[in-house]
Amino acid sequence: MKTKILEIKNLTKRFGGLTAVAGLDFEVREGEILGMIGPNGAGKSTTFNLIAGAYPASGGEVRFAGENILGLPPHRIAARGVLRTFQHNRPFSGMSVLENVLVGAHTQFRGGVFSAKAREEEAQRRRRAQELIEFVGLGELREADVGTLSFGQGRLLEIARALAGEPKLMLFDEPAAGLTPAELERLAGIIRGIAARGIAVLLIEHDMHFLLPLAHRVVVLNFGAKIADGLPDDIRANPAVTEAYLGSSHAAAR
Amino acid sequence: MIRFLVAFIVLAAAPFFLGDYHNDVYRKMLLWIALALGYNFLFGICGQVAFSHFAFYGIGAYSVVILLFQLSVPLPLAILLGIGICVLVALAVAIPSTRLEGFYLALATLALAQLFVVILNEGGAVTGGTGGIANYRLPSIFGFQVRGPWYTAVIVLLVLFTYWILARLDRSWFGRACRAVRDNPEAAAAMGVDVARTKVIAFTLTSALAGIAGMVYAFVDNTVNPPIFGLDNAFLLLFMVIVGGSGRHAGAVIGAALLFLLPFWLSPIVGHHHVLVFGVLMLAAILLQPQGLIGVFDSIRRKL
Amino acid sequence: MQDFLELAVSATASGCVYGLIALAYLLMIRPTGIINFAVGEWAMVAAFGGHLLLSRYEWNYAVGMALVLGFMFAVGLVTERVAVRPLVRQPILAPILALLGVLVVTRELISVSFPPDPLPVPFPFGIGRLEFGPVGGSYQNFFIIGLTLLTFVAAWLFFEKTLWGKAFEAVALNRRAAALMGINLSRVTAFSFGAGAAVAGLGGLLVSPNVSAHYLMGVPLAIQGFTALVIGGVGRVEGALLGGLLLAFAEQLTIRYAPIPGGYAQGVPLLFLIVFLVVRPTGLLRAKA
Repeated sequence: MKTKILEIKNLTKRFGGLTAVAGLDFEVREGEILGMIGPNGAGKSTTFNLIAGAYPASGGEVRFAGENILGLPPHRIAARGVLRTFQHNRPFSGMSVLENVLVGAHTQFRGGVFSAKAREEEAQRRRRAQELIEFVGLGELREADVGTLSFGQGRLLEIARALAGEPKLMLFDEPAAGLTPAELERLAGIIRGIAARGIAVLLIEHDMHFLLPLAHRVVVLNFGAKIADGLPDDIRANPAVTEAYLGSSHAAAR
Repeated sequence: MIRFLVAFIVLAAAPFFLGDYHNDVYRKMLLWIALALGYNFLFGICGQVAFSHFAFYGIGAYSVVILLFQLSVPLPLAILLGIGICVLVALAVAIPSTRLEGFYLALATLALAQLFVVILNEGGAVTGGTGGIANYRLPSIFGFQVRGPWYTAVIVLLVLFTYWILARLDRSWFGRACRAVRDNPEAAAAMGVDVARTKVIAFTLTSALAGIAGMVYAFVDNTVNPPIFGLDNAFLLLFMVIVGGSGRHAGAVIGAALLFLLPFWLSPIVGHHHVLVFGVLMLAAILLQPQGLIGVFDSIRRKL
Repeated sequence: MQDFLELAVSATASGCVYGLIALAYLLMIRPTGIINFAVGEWAMVAAFGGHLLLSRYEWNYAVGMALVLGFMFAVGLVTERVAVRPLVRQPILAPILALLGVLVVTRELISVSFPPDPLPVPFPFGIGRLEFGPVGGSYQNFFIIGLTLLTFVAAWLFFEKTLWGKAFEAVALNRRAAALMGINLSRVTAFSFGAGAAVAGLGGLLVSPNVSAHYLMGVPLAIQGFTALVIGGVGRVEGALLGGLLLAFAEQLTIRYAPIPGGYAQGVPLLFLIVFLVVRPTGLLRAKA
């Protein structure tokens, strides 16, 4: 049984009078792809943001590699090995693809700017960045200005950039949104490849057709609480899950 | 390294062949280039808008003069203390400002720049008030009086040193982090960049460099007075960097050289009102060619 | 006590001028987020307009004033068209910088067109005094206070009661949503610049009889007005006036009663600005929810 790398215990977030996340418990293991689904407003994004350090929680713990990272600022969380992509691509617009990926490697640079090691480290990180760019399939676009990338390519850049931080846990925020079927295929392959390297993956996604075949396990949220946790097939068959989605679309129809 | 040596020799030798007047213009131009390089790093590469650059130039200049001639501090110590003062003031400004949204730093530094001039004007015996301090000379260094073209060599050294530090930083992970903070601070943080610390370091470093330039400046005219360190020159520096091409060292050099020399060429036509031309050039740059003159050169080169 | 009341009237008048400049900023910041430092130069241009029409050509005050304000409105529209609209796709820094360029160009154009010494602008009601019991001040001071109050009431009514005002608020809250609801963004922006210029112009016209028209008067006014805005907060129109009054009182009380040399008085708005930016950048008054 692979080790647990991320443990969420009793995670709670209140925004004024609204409880967005209520006592959430789940875990992710090394090399495992955990999918998180749920209707709109279920608390998926909030949970994601709490783990990524975007804002403080109202209660609970987020244990990463045994230590509580709740309350740490995003850059410290990244330094520990938790890297994320953004739902609406956020490239660094003034730089090339390669440079963008190199920013992702920021936490991996140990040497000072003026030190003797600096040049060698830079070369080493560049080689690694190139590998990652190839891995996601952007090989020829290494020197391209990020402004010229298509939406799908920008998504791949997000992934390569996050991977450059040598994550132990990758957080994907609705990566399938806006992609063509061919791009979705490639994305699924990339995510599998990432998990195969022993990296834990937490994948928030709306698109069940994309997620269920890909995830090893699935957690379902509704109204900020976990309503199901298990294998994709079990989730598919789970009546509470169908109810949650149908219930919410009923409400939307009214 | 060879390139720097060659550049130094060429640039430092030039004043020996120039008359006094041209030497003076040359030196002032070099100083503006040094300032523009630093400001370009802060504004163009780190994306921080600040108007305090000339205030730090002034803090450096006044500090070294006051320490040397009013407090009789030996030269090396005066230099170190001057740098220290700049660093402290920069930290005092930068640390609270990093909590503020983008343009707030610009406003705080705008107020600081004005406040600095007010303090200088009201400083009485310490700062020499509105007339400033004059009639001092650089003490001899190891018995050698560094004057004239030899002092110009010192200024060349300053420019090359400034360039070297900034270029090195620019190419490193720190330079990349600065750009990332400029382009998208939230994504930068998600990648592990400590945004606040990066901004503080960039601001403090470039302000210290401006202070060092100020110390060198103090012995160019052997006089320091308040108007030089005010907002007008701060605006001009901004214009230089934008017109030259912000984010590129070459842009800073070109912008500084051009806008510094332009009044000399234009004065038969526009008299004192060369600032009007600068304003128009600045507008033209922002509206038509945000990459500045460097951008224009690049597109010409691409077409050839 | 008499002394203080005298100072109070004078400070109120100054505060009104700062408040007008702050209002000018506010009118442009709310729908666009753009901080337009050229407002100081706009006030200066209006002052010169006042000198030209009212002093040199000796036109009727009301007519001259109306004309100058109308001219300023046009200047605002042109500025928006030239320096703001082309940059609509770029980050907000671009128009702010472009407006710095406008600031400099405006100042230089005036300095080219007029002699360098301060130029007189006449008092509409002469130099007499008005007394309301213990409270007294010059005609000009009361004129300033009166017109400022009128302007602020008009601005408040505009935002609260009119459809255009609501459109402004909508754009301030969410540009994209406003556009989707059919609000013409460029018209709102254009109007905000025109109105901002006119209000700044009013400030310039009101203050210039006391201080004369001079091409360097813009930047200090811009800083004072901006400080007033930061103190009062961008959220509410009344904040601009409150900020202006607080700043003016602090300034005048310091000059009058504090044991420091007079020149330091210029430092008061600057210190306030720095302190407020660091301690309470959102200002004293909160925006309505």
